[in-house]
Amino acid sequence: MIKAIINKEWYKTRLAFFVTLAVSLLFSAYAALRINRLIALKGVDHLWLIVLLKDNTFADMIQMLPLLTGLVLGVAQMAPEMSHKRLKLTMHLPVPQTKLLMLMLAVGVAEALVVFAGQAAVIGIYDLTVMPAPMVASIMLTTLPWFVAGFAAYLFACAICLEASWRRRVGLGLLAAAMLAMFYSQPALEAYNSFLPILLIATASLAILSAGSMIRFKEGLSE
Amino acid sequence: MHTDTEPIISVRNLTQRYGKGRVIYSDLSFDVPKGRILGLLGKNGTGKTTTINILMGYLRPQSGECRIFGEPITEMQPATRARIALLIEGHVQYSFMTISQIEKFYSAFYPKWNRDAYYGLMEKMHVSPGQKISTMSCGQRSQVALGLILAQNADLLVLDDFSLGLDPGYRRLFVEYMRDYVKAEGKTVFMTSHIIQDLERLIDDCIILDYGRILTQQPVAELMKGYPQGTTLEDVFIELTGKY
Repeated sequence: MIKAIINKEWYKTRLAFFVTLAVSLLFSAYAALRINRLIALKGVDHLWLIVLLKDNTFADMIQMLPLLTGLVLGVAQMAPEMSHKRLKLTMHLPVPQTKLLMLMLAVGVAEALVVFAGQAAVIGIYDLTVMPAPMVASIMLTTLPWFVAGFAAYLFACAICLEASWRRRVGLGLLAAAMLAMFYSQPALEAYNSFLPILLIATASLAILSAGSMIRFKEGLSE
Repeated sequence: MHTDTEPIISVRNLTQRYGKGRVIYSDLSFDVPKGRILGLLGKNGTGKTTTINILMGYLRPQSGECRIFGEPITEMQPATRARIALLIEGHVQYSFMTISQIEKFYSAFYPKWNRDAYYGLMEKMHVSPGQKISTMSCGQRSQVALGLILAQNADLLVLDDFSLGLDPGYRRLFVEYMRDYVKAEGKTVFMTSHIIQDLERLIDDCIILDYGRILTQQPVAELMKGYPQGTTLEDVFIELTGKY
């Protein structure tokens, strides 16, 4: 049963997964290319100075990519469920409905994780060839909130798609905008380090929003 | 615990409105005993799909109680859902899957799954296992949905307006397949339709709904006794509900 559900989610999202993966890797490679160009023009010392003195991670051009990846994956996964109220078929499956929803979300989170890991790997591995490890660690810690924002965006997209009431959709959209803005408000290196565990817990708890949307669908509040 | 003598579906004093407005029906009560086929008939907008939504737990009724296999529908367990085959209005299925993917998907959930019943029907359509459902015609999609229902081998079949979007040929095919299957296997069926002519040879009992009220509720044979020979169920329906 679990394998069948994973397959179903994969059929819906595989195109979105491969597109977001390809785009993320391309942009990450381009970010690495920019660093390479700077080193060629001004030397590696100059690069380190910019990172340390100007808090520049050279990854700023990819900071919105995880968020967009999350949105695309969430819509690709949940929009087909709401089209023609196909969610009724899913809810009719002989599986406890909370377990079913959590499995569906787990598939999306796993796909987002692969995309983000690929993106982080390109940046991290390249940076290690031109910067000392502590500096790379600092850059990776700085980019971490963007990836958490990607998971949050995914969970918000799922909840908004599953929500059948337009009024609630707008409410969830506003909540999403407010929460996601928090991930991008501090540009300094490692500015989120102390706050990150709270953001992680808040992001994980967003799965409840999808469960709420599903319950309201089940009770006919969408009819 | 549900016993064989108890009705498969039991509905008591069901009342439902559109939001806080128009009454769809009030005090609707009926039973569907084991092995019977009940048709809920009515024009568009009389509450047929609403009733299915209530029975399947997708809509909370304003008042009344519904039980399926003795279980209140609000607390339906996964094992009970496994005994019910559901056809959603418009033959909606997972159209992003192919013929073979969808069969493999559903087979994982139903212990009595009959793969041959599904592929037997697919062979008649001359479609390849790799064909995506979204690329099929409405008639072909209806056959996929029918094939999945037959393969599930459920005790109760709930079919919401199976005739929607189908041309007469596919409607006839659907009815004939369904009739042979439910009679041979002793299945219980609850179905809705707004095209009455298809149902005459299929249903045992009928409930005819009008806007805001129940016009009649009885076995088809009994209903037809009150009319001259040669009268069809469609004629009776039109007489009761008025012309479209």
